[in-house]
Amino acid sequence: MFDLFKIEWLKIRTYRTFWVLFAGFLVFFPVGFYLMAYKYMEQIGNAKTLEETLLKKLLDAPFVFPKAWHAAAWTGGIFFVIIGMLFILLITNEVQYRTHRQNIIDGWSRMDFLKAKFSILVFFVAVSTLLVFIMGLIVGSVFSPSTAKIFEGVQYVGYFALMATLYLMLAFLVAILIKRTGLSIIIYFAIVCIVDNILWLIFTLKETQVGYYMPLEVVDSLVPNPFKPKVLEKRTVEDYTLIIAAATYIAAYVYIIISYFRKTDLKT
Amino acid sequence: MAILSINNLSKNYKSIKALDNVSFAVPAKTVFGILGPNGSGKTTLLGIVMDILKVSGGSYKWAGDLSTDQMRKKIGTLLETPNFYHYLSGEDNLKIAARIKGRGEADIPKVLQTVNLYERRKSKFNTYSLGMKQRLAIASTLLGDPDILVFDEPTNGLDPAGIAEIRDLIKDLNRQGKTIIMASHILDEVEKVCTHVAIIQRGVLKTVGSVAEVLNTSGTNILNSVLIEISAANNDQLKTVLQQLSGLETITETENGLEIICPENITAEQVNRFCFDQGIVLSKLNVKRKSLETRFLEITGKQSDR
Repeated sequence: MFDLFKIEWLKIRTYRTFWVLFAGFLVFFPVGFYLMAYKYMEQIGNAKTLEETLLKKLLDAPFVFPKAWHAAAWTGGIFFVIIGMLFILLITNEVQYRTHRQNIIDGWSRMDFLKAKFSILVFFVAVSTLLVFIMGLIVGSVFSPSTAKIFEGVQYVGYFALMATLYLMLAFLVAILIKRTGLSIIIYFAIVCIVDNILWLIFTLKETQVGYYMPLEVVDSLVPNPFKPKVLEKRTVEDYTLIIAAATYIAAYVYIIISYFRKTDLKT
Repeated sequence: MAILSINNLSKNYKSIKALDNVSFAVPAKTVFGILGPNGSGKTTLLGIVMDILKVSGGSYKWAGDLSTDQMRKKIGTLLETPNFYHYLSGEDNLKIAARIKGRGEADIPKVLQTVNLYERRKSKFNTYSLGMKQRLAIASTLLGDPDILVFDEPTNGLDPAGIAEIRDLIKDLNRQGKTIIMASHILDEVEKVCTHVAIIQRGVLKTVGSVAEVLNTSGTNILNSVLIEISAANNDQLKTVLQQLSGLETITETENGLEIICPENITAEQVNRFCFDQGIVLSKLNVKRKSLETRFLEITGKQSDR
């Protein structure tokens, strides 16, 4: 797998669009997250009249340990759509340049091609998860009054990794099936921003928990909006069932991608 | 020994039969031409043996014990158009191909020099002209000095000098003992470089064999025949007169006159004198050696498939 990744790296290391989008994530997420935390804490810091409320708010504040991990994972997820788009682009580019055909002609098996792309997926998930961890650590350390509970809630970093993997697997599936760059990105965003949320909303309005098992909602629910008051949370299904559901989705996407790509004619 | 055996290969695109039960074998160390009009199934055939298209029926086998994936690493292939990363330099594109093939990068300067692209190796692929792109694709096929080369329309987009260079290169590769499989719709190209030929039309294999065999399988001994294009003021009268000339094999009416096929012992001079003696003055007399082109048109018909 690492050999395949090295070849993939040759393809992208001088590709400007890759660096623009990748750097976009690497810069905007940390800066955005830190500024958000800074502004939020500044506002709370100014409200000195009701000390008790302040203290309570501070303890439950999204940028203070243990919630800092949760906030970092959620914010990272928002910015991660950039990576989803980039990943689609890296796959559909191959179709556009017909290099997916050339890679096979030159001796890769169909599975080699998929594994090579999967190695990029792993790379993106690893780098972004590391960044979420670092940002949770930095922001938590800067704004927490004490570091006693520092690693409590660190599972949210793991949830982020799962979320990132599922989002990229969906991107992988869309790109492999749709092939066209523009259309793939539109469909991906439609699923991410509209379809999944509408389904969730419909089911949730019907007072059922099924909505939480929608393809992306499973991971979105694991890392809910940290600013949302707890009383508004309607989810009763346990985290572990969502993790199992997410893993099932990932397995299903992998299966569809492999069985489709191994049998299909590689045309443009 | 056959380098590649193709057995009852079929490929359907919905209702269209792109390939219909095609079988043949490519002997080692030949230049094997796959000849056919546009859309006849040549590229489909090569796409299948390169695993970028899947068969609807039949099978193919490369000689040796390697898996088809491992085998492809040892074959230099140019299929249809040059496929490269537009934003990478020619050299970087070859690095990727070399890595996939599991070969070192040491060959890269040599193959770039072979196709006269060494000076432009650092330029991005999207700045290349059509001919340069084609030459980069040919350079890529030479990586690792493979024993088998597959070329699909190798002279596409090249200028006359480039075409001649590539033909010389192909002949030279063959002299080094390499097997070359080449698809082309350009008869002249096949005739100039190929030792063997398979003719495909609408997905059906029409004939296969050495070039000499294919030329000789028609009723007449084509290798020793001459094709003469001829016309006069009154072509109908000319035809009537020519029918009296003994030894002529065929007379065909064309748009601009007549085409006659005759044995080599009948010279243009004799034909001219015969007509003149019969009171016809020829306005055109053009001698062509009967070639693969005539044979090809006999086999495939004169209508284009499109």
